[in-house]
Amino acid sequence: MNSLSRFADPVFCIARLIIGLMYACHGGQKILGFPPGGHGMPPGAMGAIGAWIELAGGFMIALGLLTRLGAFFAAGEMAVAYFTVHAKGGFFPIVNHGELAVAFCWFFLFVFFYGPGRWSLDALLFKRASSGPAMA
Amino acid sequence: MQALNRFSDPVFGILRLIAGLMFACWGAKLVLGMFGGTATPLKPMLVVAGWIEIVGGLMIAIGLLTRLAAFFCSGTMAVAYFLVHAPHSFFPIINKGELAVFYCWLFLFVVFHGSGRWSVDALIRRKAKSQV
Repeated sequence: MNSLSRFADPVFCIARLIIGLMYACHGGQKILGFPPGGHGMPPGAMGAIGAWIELAGGFMIALGLLTRLGAFFAAGEMAVAYFTVHAKGGFFPIVNHGELAVAFCWFFLFVFFYGPGRWSLDALLFKRASSGPAMA
Repeated sequence: MQALNRFSDPVFGILRLIAGLMFACWGAKLVLGMFGGTATPLKPMLVVAGWIEIVGGLMIAIGLLTRLAAFFCSGTMAVAYFLVHAPHSFFPIINKGELAVFYCWLFLFVVFHGSGRWSVDALIRRKAKSQV
């Protein structure tokens, strides 16, 4: 199946781009009011920090800029969101509406360990520092 | 950062397990009426989608014929997104299709990445290799 594995890296980068942008939309709704239809900024410092992690971290992951750093914060924030907001509502994520938080959390944790891949700003900027496919 | 990359395979295994199980829950809700579903008589297409979610989700979770299962699941989610969610809005966050997009792309990545070392596929491969 090596003929399929050859394309793992481009597909990973498209998945990173799309999932990162979807994640940034959550922060965008809270901070910028875009895309429309959000509830605005949540109260308290924790809500504000979370919103900025979503907006900035989402774009960092999408573009592949300091990917591991962004993914680390994003995964941590989703873990906090799941346990403070959703976990009370039931054991199963499908019941407590925390499925998206779980999905983001584990995907970003995987990004943290896997790295940005070859199609990323990290790979462009830090090309000379290391020649391997996974950097920064 | 090679120190982090050493753990990417186990984390990928856990991600596959959790995403696969959550995905199977949707099929169980649709077809079996678990998790607050109603299991009313469904259109044939929804029954097919529900069973793909249950069987495919579990196969991805344990890593059995992972690429094949992920291919079907990813396709199912693409159809679900464009049939159900896309007509409502351009943005997934507004048309409530975020999970469908997420599963679609994650499983497409699984098709190309393969099952990894922590999977039934890897066990079978290892056994086959030792017998030859």
